[in-house]
Amino acid sequence: MWTHPPAGATLLAVLAWLGAAGCTEAPGDAALTVFVASSLTDVTADLADEWTLTSGVGVELVAGGSNHLAAQVRDGAPADVFLTADAELLDDLQHRLLANPVTDQMTDRVAGRVPTVIHNLAINHLVVARPTAGPERRPADLRDPSVVLVACATGVPCGDAAAARFGDLPVDSFEPSARAVVARLALDEADLGIVYATDVAAHTGLAPAWPQEPTCPCVTYAAASLSPSGNPFVAFLTSDRARQILTEHGFVAGPPR
Amino acid sequence: MTRPPNAPRSVLVVAALAVAFLTLPVLALLQRAPWSGLVDLLRRREVVEALGVSLLVSLTAAGIVLVLGTPLAWVLARVDVPFRRLVRALVVLPMVLPPVVGGTALLFALGRRGLVGQWLERWFDVTLPFTTAGAVVAATFVALPFYVVTVEGALRTTGDHLEQLASTLGASPLTVLRRVTLPRLVPAMGAGLALAWARALGEFGATITFAGNLPGRTRTLPLATFQALESDPEAAIALSLVLLAVSLAVLLPTRDRWLPTR
Repeated sequence: MWTHPPAGATLLAVLAWLGAAGCTEAPGDAALTVFVASSLTDVTADLADEWTLTSGVGVELVAGGSNHLAAQVRDGAPADVFLTADAELLDDLQHRLLANPVTDQMTDRVAGRVPTVIHNLAINHLVVARPTAGPERRPADLRDPSVVLVACATGVPCGDAAAARFGDLPVDSFEPSARAVVARLALDEADLGIVYATDVAAHTGLAPAWPQEPTCPCVTYAAASLSPSGNPFVAFLTSDRARQILTEHGFVAGPPR
Repeated sequence: MTRPPNAPRSVLVVAALAVAFLTLPVLALLQRAPWSGLVDLLRRREVVEALGVSLLVSLTAAGIVLVLGTPLAWVLARVDVPFRRLVRALVVLPMVLPPVVGGTALLFALGRRGLVGQWLERWFDVTLPFTTAGAVVAATFVALPFYVVTVEGALRTTGDHLEQLASTLGASPLTVLRRVTLPRLVPAMGAGLALAWARALGEFGATITFAGNLPGRTRTLPLATFQALESDPEAAIALSLVLLAVSLAVLLPTRDRWLPTR
């Protein structure tokens, strides 16, 4: 007996919705898959839009922690370009880089120089931030155990850079990404957090805990093309327009070439 | 192995496939385990610390689940509360909610600026995020539905004729509950508790989102495993082995006793 018509009807409705969604969705014409460190997500979206405008090539972004993305690439994920906050990870991917010879056609396209690897795409400085809703702080608060402090975990680029710059701190939680630290501050669950300068610039919920000069140790981003179709995009990343977009987002763009 | 006449070969084949599907990833994990350096890996401070936090958090959560879940399961099965279907759906929601979302929801509710959390801080000076108590809250949130669903199901299948009989013989409702209902419910409570405890032990997303990640305080075995994956994959596998060993040690001896066989 048909005892649960609502459940059946709901299921049918969901299936119909999925079917409709499948029909309206454009066919997958994203020609370029870009794996991008999470702290570069917003700026890469702008870079990709610009690239799509000039080249007509669609870009699909896959954002995540640099280590996780590198592991996925190592296991054969179909990434054309990898933007990482940890340049050392590129050594891991040498086999993919070596399997990507620069073709003549590509060489022509960017006037004789096609970098498949950019080791200093941009720099991001660390900032000790507070929730905008919270009180202003002093540098001494960083080592005050009663102040709730969150930072990235070691092994994550922002965590390694923070450890290199600040040493041992009374951290209350080691977060898996800079984005997670930002969320803690935006929700006012923590008093202080060590985040990227770009995060402070992008979020109204965060403010520098006190006036700070850009100082290193910091994070240096690297870019690598992992397939021939990724080469033009990586070349574009060194263009003046790309450097301008990086700067607008608060990054310090690498040296021009 | 003897094959009873009522076990069709096709059913046995499918069952064997299911077992293979479930055990293959675990076997693959064992095959990648760094057996030679395992003892050294397991004696590391962070492993011992994470194991301690995990046991404390999951066992405390299991205790709370027992205390909160038993009355709830009984009410859902026996009392004609209004909107019972809706209440039951709400109770099982944490099972389908992605744990990270559950953790965020917990922050909105019990965080320092949460709906209830702000009053906890103001009145009792209690903040749950970044504390072991917070990790217990996260684990309880995801584990409680498993217990309630199991025990409620058992209450429904056993029916209430014995309870009604006891009542007509003059037993008070509380006596019926204590002398008739609960004793027969022990196996199901054990099974539900084992499920809930296992879920609490493996809990990751809600914990890291709500309680954070600090060695010795909130970093449980799953969090330590995730952390180790970033820098030291071999240690991550070793940590998962600890998790597997602990859960097998608890689930293996209890299963036959608690899950009614027939």
